[in-house]
Amino acid sequence: MQDYKDFLDEILIDEQTLQTRIKELAEEINRDYNGKDLLLICILRGGIVFLVDLMRHITVPHQLDFMAVSSYGAGARQSGGSVRLSLDLKTDIRSKDVLLVEDIVDSGNTIAYVLEFLQTRQPRSLKVCTLLDKKERRETSIPIHYRGFSIPNKFVFGYGLDLDEYYRNLPFIAVVDLKKYQPPS
Amino acid sequence: MQDYHEFIDEVLVDEKAIETRVAELGAQISRAYAGQELLIVCLLRGGLTFTADLTRHLTIPHTLDCMSLSSYGVGHYASSGNVRVNLDLMTNIEGLNVLLVEDIVDSGRTLAHVLHMLKTREPKSLQVCVLLDKKYRREVPVDVDYVGFDIPDKYVFGYGIDIDEHYRHLRFIASADMKKYKKTP
Repeated sequence: MQDYKDFLDEILIDEQTLQTRIKELAEEINRDYNGKDLLLICILRGGIVFLVDLMRHITVPHQLDFMAVSSYGAGARQSGGSVRLSLDLKTDIRSKDVLLVEDIVDSGNTIAYVLEFLQTRQPRSLKVCTLLDKKERRETSIPIHYRGFSIPNKFVFGYGLDLDEYYRNLPFIAVVDLKKYQPPS
Repeated sequence: MQDYHEFIDEVLVDEKAIETRVAELGAQISRAYAGQELLIVCLLRGGLTFTADLTRHLTIPHTLDCMSLSSYGVGHYASSGNVRVNLDLMTNIEGLNVLLVEDIVDSGRTLAHVLHMLKTREPKSLQVCVLLDKKYRREVPVDVDYVGFDIPDKYVFGYGIDIDEHYRHLRFIASADMKKYKKTP
């Protein structure tokens, strides 16, 4: 595997800035969900690191559940097609205050599908928290209630986001110089 | 939800001790797999926090995948040991170095079953890393290669481990006095 320094364009958001903003988001969530029945939903796998750090600052009572989705057809990221649910929630969300936690929203297609799907189960409320928002890429309009950072339309990695499944464990968000990046064989 | 102060027995492992030990495990795993690549398999949901923190300390190339399992039968104790796979790996593990990451091992039944199942897929190597080992509860022998802490046979919560789905966000691992614990209706 290539050292990320070989293809690093720039560090977009450093560790300190990430952690400070995540704490702020959690405080906002704590205020808004005080006295409610909060269920955090993490969409695997990119959202894991963000979720774990966010959750540590959430002081209101909350539960956690997971979903895994994949796109039909090739090229999950580019696909605008429909979504296959590979892992459904364990929790019945009826009458719960549901907060979907995502690492990044770009086209919005997957989230839009997931929101529509979850809405049919009649939660009391359904909101979205995303660490990164790549607005320029939006194809389907979705409501974002908690946003960590708006970022430009660049290829990013680190802090849960992978490049061909690697580099998720870096503590910062960085931009790839795709001319220098060699995918693993 | 009940305040955990009302039923906490004692803090078994505090935040600092967890951080230190997780960093040590990360370094140890990085040395053991030096020059090789590794697939980290996180067992949901308890293993999530540990996995997110552990992988931040890995210095070797690695990818991440998740599995979600549940036991057949009613209740934890009535389990036959057979395991239902709710979410299988996306990765074909044939020929890969696989490290299974779990929050806690007690009877060893689930772990033994998963290991057996994964071995049939012929990974190059298959090892286990658990944060907590409740040795006194072991019913089936399993090889655990990396252990964070040996703990007594107590009901524990925090740092990813829940009681009735709550308290996962706490930064320490504590034992519960179940006589004082009241389930949230």
